[in-house]
Amino acid sequence: MRIDRTHKGWLIVSLAIFGVSLLLYGLYRVPAAKGSMGGTAMGLWFGSVGFSFMIFAGLLGARKRVPVYRFGRAQTWMRGHLWLGLLSMPLILFHSGFRYGHGLTALLMTLLIAVVASGVFGAMLQHYMPRVITREVSMETIYDEIAHVRAQLLEEAEELIKQAVDGEKAAAGAAEGDVAVVTVPVSDQAAPLRNFYEQEMRPFLEKPGRRGSALGDAAQARSAFSQLRTLVPAPLHTTIEDLEGICEEERQITLQSQLHMWLHGWLLVHIPLSLALILLGAVHAVMALRF
Amino acid sequence: MPRTRTTKKLAQRIDLDYFKRPNPLRRWKLWLSVAAPAVALLWFAWYAVRSDRSVYSAGNLSSAHAVLTTQCSACHVSQLGFYDERPIDQKCLACHDGPMHHATQAFMPSCASCHTDHRGAIRLAATGDANCTQCHADLSTRGGSTSFVRNINDFTSDHPEFAVLRAGRADPGTIRLNHDRHLQPNLLGPDGSRVQMTCTDCHRAAADAAGPWPYGDGKSQRAPPAKDAIANESRTDEATLAASRAYMAPATYARTCAACHTLQFDKRLADSVPHDKPEVIHPFVIAQLQAYIAKHPADLRVPRDPGRDLPEKPIPSDYRLLTPPQWVAERASEDEELLWRKTCKQCHTLNSEPGSALPRVAASNITARYMPHANFDHSQHGLVGCTSCHAAAMVSQQSSDVLLPGIATCRACHRAGPEAAESRCFECHTYHDPAQRKPMHSNFSLPELQAGTR
Repeated sequence: MRIDRTHKGWLIVSLAIFGVSLLLYGLYRVPAAKGSMGGTAMGLWFGSVGFSFMIFAGLLGARKRVPVYRFGRAQTWMRGHLWLGLLSMPLILFHSGFRYGHGLTALLMTLLIAVVASGVFGAMLQHYMPRVITREVSMETIYDEIAHVRAQLLEEAEELIKQAVDGEKAAAGAAEGDVAVVTVPVSDQAAPLRNFYEQEMRPFLEKPGRRGSALGDAAQARSAFSQLRTLVPAPLHTTIEDLEGICEEERQITLQSQLHMWLHGWLLVHIPLSLALILLGAVHAVMALRF
Repeated sequence: MPRTRTTKKLAQRIDLDYFKRPNPLRRWKLWLSVAAPAVALLWFAWYAVRSDRSVYSAGNLSSAHAVLTTQCSACHVSQLGFYDERPIDQKCLACHDGPMHHATQAFMPSCASCHTDHRGAIRLAATGDANCTQCHADLSTRGGSTSFVRNINDFTSDHPEFAVLRAGRADPGTIRLNHDRHLQPNLLGPDGSRVQMTCTDCHRAAADAAGPWPYGDGKSQRAPPAKDAIANESRTDEATLAASRAYMAPATYARTCAACHTLQFDKRLADSVPHDKPEVIHPFVIAQLQAYIAKHPADLRVPRDPGRDLPEKPIPSDYRLLTPPQWVAERASEDEELLWRKTCKQCHTLNSEPGSALPRVAASNITARYMPHANFDHSQHGLVGCTSCHAAAMVSQQSSDVLLPGIATCRACHRAGPEAAESRCFECHTYHDPAQRKPMHSNFSLPELQAGTR
């Protein structure tokens, strides 16, 4: 989600809530300097509001799980998730009196910092990454189709090589019948192409993330294919061009896959820790009132 | 024909069932989302199995309670099976006596509302000002009336001037002492020497009273007894003073005056009278004179007063011959006249007692603590010189001058901010009336505390 002018309303409301909270904290905290904060009426208010913001932020996941009910616009939920989730951090700090805590509360503070930090990191990625992907990956495909497309690219490359080798044999056979002069063995004309494919390109297509492959780098790939063109007859240059295109698409898919991991990988931290935070936060609320 | 990437070709290579296949990212997200809360629950279960509730603790206990870290039930108790296990006053009062602040206070807060534990190694007595100002910001009492200022929010802004300095009150002490004169240079000191007196020559904490005192009597120079306070120090809690360096011990004659202000009463006798009541001094004088005349019978022949105030009066014989009792009575009368009218009166107020030949010495009324409702510790203020705070002592000529520094002097250091000294209420005031405090003993055993089995 891009964070643009459409967030202005949320930004203003969030700043207003933060400002009022800061004022209340200053008024109630300063007279009780060095005193306890969490158990006071104001401390409990900060804790309750902060925790309710966390729960609201967590409900985004539930909203995504059951989209059919359409309770509010997804965009509104997402913006609320971003801004209220971010607001929960200062509110909980006010609740704790800027103390890290002990035992469960220390763990909660650690989780909160991790969740908010990963959320902010994710929001930044969600803001910038789509543009990077659009710019860098012109051959973008559906992420879930990547494995399928890769298999197709490998299949396509295999077919091209087969056609090239078979075509050369057929051409060489026709030439043997017409002319008695034998120049070069027919199979050897496509041999550099076949060797290149088997030694460089197929491993690259089968394991595109493998380090050390020259084809993984656009410049090195261009150089390799240029060199290959000098080794095979001109009719095979079209095949080389196609293979080069397949490699380019493979590189872009690899890049897309990497960017996708950045774009969504942070959720592997954010979501599990958020769930743990809400669970432990509920336990904290119950047990703190008990003791 | 070269390879092309048309929309049609791209669409044709899409697997329409792709969403049915597992997505590793989504799968990991699901598993981790289950695992993280599960680990959290296991963490709680681990503590629950061990019956360890420290995980719910908001922080380490205060230094005073640290030994009870594993004894949650020492403070937390479930009442009649209810959910609430917050500490209750009865648990606190099992070990601590917490006498009420004032007999007319409007309400009694719970112990834990002021002394909040689980905040690390802190002093539990160091409570926030809000605990005090919840009453003192707008003081109301049972009965309605109070002698205290009703609106105090904090020390730095609206705390009133100290009571003894308000409305020009005079020091109740009756000992005549001119601080200005005693702090002048080149004073005539013991044995005719010239001296420059300093504050600590006379003013020291009770714990430092073991001497030597440069202007005390010979006894004080060596090692004066700690309990030689005169009877007039009735306002002083001697046991408290002796155990601390908080307050200055009242200056006594023996320790601070005797070397210069001797109590010699007769030129024939080397001894001085004791620094005591006239009822003690009188027999001493009589005994000294009797002893003297017994050794010097020739002194019974006394030159007659020529009576020059009556020029026409005939001059009698030159000498009178007195009996020893007559001589002692006459000399005692003269010596005591000198004592009562000059020597004693230089410092003390003497009043004539109806029906008694001996005067009565007024109580000295030396004030050991000018602020009975606040605490002060001189030993904690050794960083600054005496006259830096007690500046008025340098120019004070009257005993009635109150030389206690005003609140502005305190506020020079005790103010808000991290670079300032503590300025919260507890720094000077004690909530629980120490006069009512009873000694308390709990009944934990050392093995119980070590094992946390109770």
